[in-house]
Amino acid sequence: MEPLLYKSTHEIVEIRDRSDAALEALSAQRKLSLSLEDMRAIRDHFKQLRRDPTDVELEVLAQTWSEHCKHRIFNAVIHHTTDNGKEVIHGLFSRYVRCVTEEIMERKPGFVVSAFHDNAGFIRLDDTWAVGLKVETHNHPSAIEPYAGANTGLGGVIRDILGAGKAARPVASLDVFCLGNPDTDPAALKDGSVIHPLGVLRGVVKGVRDYGNRMGLPTIAGSIYFDDGYCFNPLVFCGTAGVLPLDRIEKRVEPGYRIMVLGGRTGRDGLRGATFSSASLDSNSREDDQGAVQIGNPIEEKKAADCLLRAAEEGLIRFVTDCGAGGLSSATGEMAAEHGASIYLDRVPLKEPGLSSWEIFLSESQERMVLAVEPDDVERMREMADLYESECVEIGTINNDGFLRVFHHGDELCCLDGSFLHTAPRKTLVSTYTTSPESGTVSGPYMPDSVDHDYTSDLHGLLRHFNVASREPVIREYDHEVLGQTLVKPLAGPDGHCPADGTVFGVDGSARYVAMGVSLLPAWHANPYRMGRGTVDEAIRQLVVSGANPDRVALLDNFCIGNPEDPHVLGALVETARGMAEAAEACGAPFISGKDSFYNCYETPQGTQSIPPTLLISGLGIIDERAHITRSFIRRTDSRICLAGLTRPEMGGSVYARMTGATDGDVPRWEAEQTMTVYRRFHEALRNGWILSAHDLSEGGLAVALAETGFSLRAGMNIQLEAVPVDGGPSITERLFSESTGRLLFEVAPAHVDAVTAHFHGLPFAVIGTMNDNHDRLVVGERDTVLLDEKIIHLKESWKNGLKPYY
Amino acid sequence: MEKRPEALLLKFPGTNCDVETARALDTTGFRVRTIPFKGISEEAILQCRLLVLPGGFSYGDYIMAGRLAQLKLEQALGDALNRFRDQGGYILGICNGFQILVKLGLLPSGSLIAHADGRFRCQWVKLRNHRPDHPFLRALPEVVEFPIACAEGRFVAAPGDAEAYLDKGLVTLTYEDNVNGSSAAIAGLQDESGRVFGMMPHPERFLTRAHHVDPDWAGDPDRGWGYYFFRSMYEELNPATEPEKSTESSQAMTL
Repeated sequence: MEPLLYKSTHEIVEIRDRSDAALEALSAQRKLSLSLEDMRAIRDHFKQLRRDPTDVELEVLAQTWSEHCKHRIFNAVIHHTTDNGKEVIHGLFSRYVRCVTEEIMERKPGFVVSAFHDNAGFIRLDDTWAVGLKVETHNHPSAIEPYAGANTGLGGVIRDILGAGKAARPVASLDVFCLGNPDTDPAALKDGSVIHPLGVLRGVVKGVRDYGNRMGLPTIAGSIYFDDGYCFNPLVFCGTAGVLPLDRIEKRVEPGYRIMVLGGRTGRDGLRGATFSSASLDSNSREDDQGAVQIGNPIEEKKAADCLLRAAEEGLIRFVTDCGAGGLSSATGEMAAEHGASIYLDRVPLKEPGLSSWEIFLSESQERMVLAVEPDDVERMREMADLYESECVEIGTINNDGFLRVFHHGDELCCLDGSFLHTAPRKTLVSTYTTSPESGTVSGPYMPDSVDHDYTSDLHGLLRHFNVASREPVIREYDHEVLGQTLVKPLAGPDGHCPADGTVFGVDGSARYVAMGVSLLPAWHANPYRMGRGTVDEAIRQLVVSGANPDRVALLDNFCIGNPEDPHVLGALVETARGMAEAAEACGAPFISGKDSFYNCYETPQGTQSIPPTLLISGLGIIDERAHITRSFIRRTDSRICLAGLTRPEMGGSVYARMTGATDGDVPRWEAEQTMTVYRRFHEALRNGWILSAHDLSEGGLAVALAETGFSLRAGMNIQLEAVPVDGGPSITERLFSESTGRLLFEVAPAHVDAVTAHFHGLPFAVIGTMNDNHDRLVVGERDTVLLDEKIIHLKESWKNGLKPYY
Repeated sequence: MEKRPEALLLKFPGTNCDVETARALDTTGFRVRTIPFKGISEEAILQCRLLVLPGGFSYGDYIMAGRLAQLKLEQALGDALNRFRDQGGYILGICNGFQILVKLGLLPSGSLIAHADGRFRCQWVKLRNHRPDHPFLRALPEVVEFPIACAEGRFVAAPGDAEAYLDKGLVTLTYEDNVNGSSAAIAGLQDESGRVFGMMPHPERFLTRAHHVDPDWAGDPDRGWGYYFFRSMYEELNPATEPEKSTESSQAMTL
């Protein structure tokens, strides 16, 4: 019989006399993912202390200093070289994210109520409520175990919201997947351990479904982006929005508070997730790293959430944070950063006996929250957890000496100075971007005008395209109505099957509404600077057409790239971040949270497979009144359709270019001032009650947007292409399919057409068509020539069935 | 002073439609209490007028939907629910609550199993109202819309049973388009007394007009059918109130 462990299991790791090579060997052997520079800093620290670290201390440092936890690449000093010269960037985060927000916080006092320092960022909804959003990536786990990866990805981001302020209430979720194409030839997957994109898709959808539906959170927004570049490294983003009373945003610990762990028990699942996710994948990843992928249990989380929110309403919670990457080490380390804390591992409820000390402290077992309460409230918390069939146990105390101390059966296994623990050495990196960021690639007439060309067939092809076709098979698997506050649903309309731009939800106790949307344009990578600008614009545009006030929009940035030590990969990231920051600042849209994911590359014998640099922008927009909520589809048979914004010969990165295999063409530019003026005018028109419906122009351009607005099947549409406001002489193909930024399509009743036209005076605007009840077709003509003529229901069939054979 | 009839929501671990169901009950006039399962007592049940088992995934529903909740309920409360019904109390089960009531044997026998296509479905459906005399249904039209959101919402029964339930008037709602393959397209059932009522669709998610998928829905200018679903039961339990009638407009536009 094996003896039960009533003593700590730890070892002293000799580090003080190690050479550089021996330090690197130690990091590799223990899978610490620490650089030589980090290892030297640790060695020197313990030399000063005149002792060697324990294995617990080393693991705590490795997790705390991991890329996943500390965003060291986003904070690194970068020497960036472009055609225009060299510059030194003292941290991408500081320069392109935080500065933007700080500048906007000055311009719009009171709008951002929490950014960057908590588990999620929040903006003011009204005088009582704040609304926030957090989006996380879960790429590496999802590549190895799609179901469990996406499942725990969502579970984790829900806990970020629960751990924001003194416990925010999660209210809606979003999910974004970047995957290889569904029709990828299995033989093309050079490595047997790579999962086919369809396998990944099925796994991640079920993962989100089973967690979100069971938690009772509506999954209301998202995107699925297919590109061969994601075959080896799928990307999975999960996001959750939450609401919080303004007076529960600030939280702090005081010496003497008790630290409690609430929810699931601690087991051996999910060890070293933070360090694992900060390295690249290879064919051994499935074998080696499966222990880093956790198992989700949404009911455990639901019970903990119900208990926590009730306790928060009763005012019991002084501080709360989630137990994510780095486990208790990271959660208690965050709590102890100022005052220090003592943690007693023998009190932590375990799933199984026999865990070694560091495993208890570092395990990333799911569904755990760590909170601080006043000593008198410990018993009440226990009772509350019992009522909700959860578990809440006191595991330690906040001190006042600044040290993180960990005990196990009387032994002190860790005694780290908070000031050392939270100051990882700063990295220095080199980046290069060779094409001048302002110039595109080859430009010129994309395709000569020809009235004989079959534009109808082009449109069918675009509507069936994997990146345009209806996501219905996936959307219906998510409960997007639970909580009874989803007002603009991802699929809506008379038959419940028209696509929405942004989705809109209400908040109990507030007369305001929130629009949520996501945007990503990795196909624009030929010009990363413009990609950054365009992605911000598209996110804002979706919110604006849904009725959000363009001056009350907040953004989140999620970057995913390959190996940041490759100067060209990092160079593209720098340019993307620069474009993104300029656009956000020009729009007055602050970043309230963000996350980055590196090493999204896969080592094969044929070389490294890296993803295209990917920027996901998620947006939250405040809708001032219910009457402003706007849908994307045609509502009347006698209305006019208007287009605002300029169409240019910019086919670079468009779906049309990808469909036809063209690689030339300019990536769309973006003009800050004019675009924001258009958005504000549109919003004023909407407030005046002049707008019946509105849709943004994005993938597939004008033609796809027209077809989609027609999917309500309420009216026939006659469109005059010559009326479209243009710049730079676009061809017919370009006017139909270019993805120029900043364009809005909207429906206006005849009585308001003159007022709307006058309202947009001086801006690129035109009435481009009329609705009618004489036919059920989309007819696009130029002067007397009909270019495109098709029954809308046939177009809708193409759109509805594009993905169905595969999912 | 407090004369409003009380609705009691029973919340199992994994119940997740309690917030919107409480909102709907509160909006329609009920006094609402939500009690976690571990805090429930027979006394609490016997003193309310309407017991509601809201939607969700009780205990995760990893085995048959509602099965664990049924066992736990029977263990904790015996046949308290039967006594509550016999003394005149109403029991409403929505979605997972319906599944639990079927498992408890409080509704005509059958099973709610995985949909014919094996998928979870969240969509709006049209339902036929078979019991316009029932307190939950009497303010609703012949065909009413509500959303469904379930993976195990397909009602099946022994051969001939479903048709017999229709004949006996135990079927309250059927799908106009049988989206999940239910026997006789059954979407909702009542027991012989009419006081136990279960349905897969979610009336609490159609409380206001703004919930509808179509902004041009030709219905009430403010309220959704879910409001009238709960309100007519409120009026049944509190006869002193003036009945509210839906003002159906021919083509209500929000503009």
